[in-house]
Amino acid sequence: MMRLNPPDAYWKKDVILFFSKRFALFIKMLYPVALIVPVAASDIPAQYGAAVIGIVAVMAGTFGAGESLTVDLNDGILVRVALTPLSPRRIVFEILAVNAFLDFVQLLPALLIVYVLHPAPLVWVLASTFGVLATLVTANCIGVFIANFTSSPADVLLYATVILAPLIYLSGFFRNTNPTGLLAALRGFVPFAYMNDALEAVFGLDVQSAPYEVFVYPSIIAAVLVFGICLTAARLLSPRL
Amino acid sequence: MHIVERTPALYAQRITRLYKTSGRGVSEVSLEIQPGEVFGLLGPNGSGKSTLLRVLSTAIAPDSGTFRVANADGLKEKQEAREKMGLMVDRPTHYGDLSGWANAYFFARAYGVEEGKVDGVLAELFDYFGLAEYKDDKVKTYSYGMGKKLALIETMAHRPELLLLDEPSLGLDYTSQLAYQKKIRELARAGVAILVASNQVDEVEALCNQVAFLHEGRLIARGPPEALISSLRDLRRIVARLRNPIEYALLEETSGVELVVPEGQYLVVHCVERPGIIADVVAGIIRGGGDIVSLSVERPNLEDVYVKLTGEALHDDEA
Repeated sequence: MMRLNPPDAYWKKDVILFFSKRFALFIKMLYPVALIVPVAASDIPAQYGAAVIGIVAVMAGTFGAGESLTVDLNDGILVRVALTPLSPRRIVFEILAVNAFLDFVQLLPALLIVYVLHPAPLVWVLASTFGVLATLVTANCIGVFIANFTSSPADVLLYATVILAPLIYLSGFFRNTNPTGLLAALRGFVPFAYMNDALEAVFGLDVQSAPYEVFVYPSIIAAVLVFGICLTAARLLSPRL
Repeated sequence: MHIVERTPALYAQRITRLYKTSGRGVSEVSLEIQPGEVFGLLGPNGSGKSTLLRVLSTAIAPDSGTFRVANADGLKEKQEAREKMGLMVDRPTHYGDLSGWANAYFFARAYGVEEGKVDGVLAELFDYFGLAEYKDDKVKTYSYGMGKKLALIETMAHRPELLLLDEPSLGLDYTSQLAYQKKIRELARAGVAILVASNQVDEVEALCNQVAFLHEGRLIARGPPEALISSLRDLRRIVARLRNPIEYALLEETSGVELVVPEGQYLVVHCVERPGIIADVVAGIIRGGGDIVSLSVERPNLEDVYVKLTGEALHDDEA
């Protein structure tokens, strides 16, 4: 059986750290439920119910990766890890994968409660779950990308806002709900949009995307993003001088 | 006669790396370290020691120059070079919420120590450095010295061919310093090449077969410590511990006094060998208003060599 502790891989180290601090873990698991469930249980318009879940996923992914990476880079520990024979691209890939997975673990209880409160066809339940995962991968890619340029967690907040605001607009969480022309074309390249469609379907709305699109397009886009971010590994993991 | 040519553990040729913001760094530094050699790199803060180690550890690329670690090109075969190296940075960092053992295990595995061997290797090193009792404690509870010892363990666990150590013993207690020095000698006997960047003169003198001085980013002298020190055979080193800082310009005018270097509470006076010089130095200190607590005449050391070469002290003036 696979042993996690002591860690012999970067991702195992992150998993151990995630579960090691009980109070922090309690808060991490609680806050998505505290934000999402009251909204899902209320009679708020379905569009906004879906949007709240989407926003929580986007923020958790982007800020989590960006801030923890910035702290580790400033501390020097990540540069030290990068000076081992481990490939920098592998390290960045593991950072992305494990952060997205752990973010997903945090959001899953809240999502399950939403599915109980809003019974939906299984295909949309699976699609929205997958859409959230793809969003988390994308958001983590954004967080890692931002960490290339930040020197403090406050920088992460600033840069993330600059990048996320247009993406959230394009995705149609609150505005741009029925885009046409260029906006519609651009929307197709944002994985958040597919998650939003799937969540709206769970909440009972008619949506633009078919379930298969929620599986296919975000997968392709997220894969391209992961590949691109891994190419920045050498720069990301170099010493901050 | 059959001559066996050994591959140097480290061969660096004309390394230059200057920071754009400050213009500081290292210039045209070449050095070679053979297996089993302990090489000391001495220089004050800002002389370029850490920059040179950053380049040699593959953390940053040089502006120009090349280097090889054993047979691996440090610029083109970084992963291979890293495998052969053990690196201890001047301010070691760890994952504070993991135990010391978990940190060391992670690094050992990252350096390729086999799963079946890692427990044995680490147990031996934790025991050697006196950390066995604390191995399961979170690193954030460690003292600075314990963190340094953990960094030494992480540096040595994969049995590298070359150790790059930046201020390795700074912050270690006396017993740990002795243990560290014993381990360095043991590793050198086993053929490991070791580069120690430090401004702890005593330690470098005690450990190193070869020493090089860095001054403003340039290598200004190198050689065995005894050879460098013997070049100062006509020099006396008078060390006075003072109760108060003094104006020492007058002292420098004393006949035979070559240089006066304040080091914290101490005043180090370099002077030529001549009858009556000690009395003249004491008189000069008293004339300058100095209250002498203790005074000793010592043999010159590597610090004096550096002072002779550059006119500057190795340590910051804290007087």
